[in-house]
Amino acid sequence: MKIFASDIDDLALGAVFLATGGGGDPYLPTLITRQTLAETGGVTLIDPSALKDDDFIVPVGGVGAPTVSLELLPSIDEASKVLDAYERLMGRSITAVASFEIGGGNSLIPLMAAAVRGIPVVDGDGMGRAFPEAQMMSYAIAGVRPTPALAMDYAGNTAIFETSDTSTYEYHIRAYAAAAGGMVTVAEHPMSGTQIRRSVIPNTVSFSLALGRLLREERGPIDDLLAPLKDLFADSVYGSVHKVFSGKVSGKRTRTVGGYDIGSLSLEDVNDPNRICSITIKNEYLVAMIDQQPLVMVPDLIVIVDSETSTPINAERLHYGQRVAVLAVGAPAFYQSEAAVIATEPRCFGIDLDYVPLEQLIPY
Amino acid sequence: MRIGLDVGGTHTDAVLMDGNAVVARTKTTTSEDVASGIETALSVVLEEQDPKAVSLLTIGTTQFTNAVIERKHLSRVAVVRACLPAGRGLKPRADWPADLASATDGGNYVIHGGHLYDGRTLADLDEREIEQVIEALRGSAPDSVVISTAFSPMQQDYEDALAARFSAALPQVHVCTSHYMGGLGLIERENAAILNASLLNFAQRVVTALVRSSQHFGLVCPVYVSQNDGTLIDLNKVSAFPALTFASGPTNSIRGAWALTGLSDAIVIDVGGTTSDIGVLKNGFPRQSNLVIDVGGVRTNFRMPDVLAMGLGGGSLIGGDGDQCGPQSVARELKNKAVCFGGDVLTLTDVAVSQGRMEIARATINDPAPQAVCDRVDALVVERLSAAVDLMKPGGATLPVILVGGGAPLIPGEKLAGCPVIRPINADVANAIGASIAQVSGEAEGLFVVGAQTRDEALKALTVEAERLAVVAGADPKSVVPINIEEVDIPYMATETTRIRVTVVGDLAQKEPPSR
Repeated sequence: MKIFASDIDDLALGAVFLATGGGGDPYLPTLITRQTLAETGGVTLIDPSALKDDDFIVPVGGVGAPTVSLELLPSIDEASKVLDAYERLMGRSITAVASFEIGGGNSLIPLMAAAVRGIPVVDGDGMGRAFPEAQMMSYAIAGVRPTPALAMDYAGNTAIFETSDTSTYEYHIRAYAAAAGGMVTVAEHPMSGTQIRRSVIPNTVSFSLALGRLLREERGPIDDLLAPLKDLFADSVYGSVHKVFSGKVSGKRTRTVGGYDIGSLSLEDVNDPNRICSITIKNEYLVAMIDQQPLVMVPDLIVIVDSETSTPINAERLHYGQRVAVLAVGAPAFYQSEAAVIATEPRCFGIDLDYVPLEQLIPY
Repeated sequence: MRIGLDVGGTHTDAVLMDGNAVVARTKTTTSEDVASGIETALSVVLEEQDPKAVSLLTIGTTQFTNAVIERKHLSRVAVVRACLPAGRGLKPRADWPADLASATDGGNYVIHGGHLYDGRTLADLDEREIEQVIEALRGSAPDSVVISTAFSPMQQDYEDALAARFSAALPQVHVCTSHYMGGLGLIERENAAILNASLLNFAQRVVTALVRSSQHFGLVCPVYVSQNDGTLIDLNKVSAFPALTFASGPTNSIRGAWALTGLSDAIVIDVGGTTSDIGVLKNGFPRQSNLVIDVGGVRTNFRMPDVLAMGLGGGSLIGGDGDQCGPQSVARELKNKAVCFGGDVLTLTDVAVSQGRMEIARATINDPAPQAVCDRVDALVVERLSAAVDLMKPGGATLPVILVGGGAPLIPGEKLAGCPVIRPINADVANAIGASIAQVSGEAEGLFVVGAQTRDEALKALTVEAERLAVVAGADPKSVVPINIEEVDIPYMATETTRIRVTVVGDLAQKEPPSR
């Protein structure tokens, strides 16, 4: 399968849905990726199962503050230059690149790198959604080391990381990003074909594209879109999709703590103002509850869409009075494993709840 | 006495004000050449007045917005962006509509330069690159040059240095720097600067025509134009920054609602022929949108009022025995098509006439809509506007809803979304009244990094800068007060970073009456 410039808007829309409230504004990544694919003629997607055991696969993406990129513009060749430097560091050539996270702008950077280099992109990613921290990536959970990692700034300056564990790596790379203009491009979590097959969330790139296309072509009230959405998700690595609440935004409080947007959101049932759904936010939507009873919780996906258009809305764009629906999507099988739940359950975000999978919370 | 004029797409309204009192008023049709419509309006309000008694003429106009939307009167703009080595391969005007890109095309150049978020240099300017661009522009001779550098809203020295070089080398070309177009977001700010630069020649002609019209009526007062935030700019500034008037239509109706009621916090609904525009008054000024603003298909960072447009107005079609109303509209053909004028299309105007809320002098049918239909439409209108008011009102507060515009009587009832409805007199010329408010503003913005300075220091420096800009714009220094401080946290950074924007406003300084 090949991805062309004309697919990028749909892919980006699907990525906003899968970003579960985080991921930042996709405008610049979309613009620059569309231009790259137009110049290079597109990029090939490779299914993880088609990779050979000793292939060399490198995830690539941006780390830092997306807001800084509004002035410190991304470059068309920066992701491919990171790959050049990474090959020199490792002394071997890269077979394919992969994505950190399918949610948000980081789903597009590997496409740019691969298109410029003429190598394929793995159809899959390391989260199946967006998460705020590196140790929540499926690569890390499956035991893949993040280092050696190489970060490059806008001017081509590089830093090489070799750390004892993933959380130390996360801490150091964020400090480097802040020192190097606020945003860096990074190659990390190097893997063999064997390793990525057991650590990747498969087929999420092609799925995000199909999802974005559905949202665009069938744009309309969520009650009309729910049936085609259910069909699409039934045929994916994700669990089933459910509408768990509809109402209007009645309150939103977020503040920035330690580089994250932390806060909560409340939604009011249109027919019964006393029925309130509250959603906890740390960059992404984490837990949705009514009367202290959870409706859905991380690592399952919480997606908020506009009730009239079904367009996904990220946390920074939500505001008082908006009519929205809350969708819940079962996490991919990988994130239902014990190791993955330990790394991503509500307790990892300071919420005192045991993870209960979506299918046990849905009353049918 | 002051005159306020509002030139809209359909109507040109004028009011003669004595303090807060409306002395004379008129609503005329906007003419094809604009100027004759303005002169008609001025002749009505000045009929029984000595023009020398008028101390201020203020104008709101949609001419510049329409020029961009219709791709008319635009001139060629070269763009010089200094951001390399960041942004390699990304060209100015990259995702513009092709017709607008070519209508304004004077060449795109990307060179080294700019700053980083923490104030350090991104890259030094490169003398050789600058020479090459100057050489190319000597050949292509654009009408103007826009200069944009990374983080220029926080540090302007590279834009200023480049502007000085280009002005000296190309004396016949207008040189514009992007930091004058406001905030962070290089592409959006640069786009705004390009649109503005493309209107400079047209602005010169518009200003000349305004001066000629005012002189024609013997007016000797200064002439000001209202800008996006609801304050005024003088004609020199209009000549240099015509794009600052893009949102003067909705802005003036919101400010007019404030002037008519004295309510500094309220919801304002401007009901027109096809749409109802819902905005919010905050501290007497329109609440600004924080979203990217689309102008003619281009992303910009213009600070414009946060307005929700609904397809609900005097020409809205009534369908399905009254369970449908709009968004389709007979628009300008109301007087040919509506039932009350003898036509065969049932409109919201017909409902308002039947319900006795609207009296139309030239109407031929007194009861154009059946009672049952009217009741259903009224309920539907209240339901839809209530949902929109709910969406716009801040944090669930109960605020008064002020109805303005020629279509205000179309809206039934005394409450919307639980908020009391207020119907001031002269609501139909609220835009012209909004244009006549004599205040000017100043605004400054910057990123504040915790640890580098205290928040109070950052706030103080920005306030001083905003006050300086307000006085430059014509404010009486004694009257300048801050009206808005906005702080937005920037996520994902290890060092806590906040974007702060300070807006101040003051009364226009009374100048000595011109001696003759």
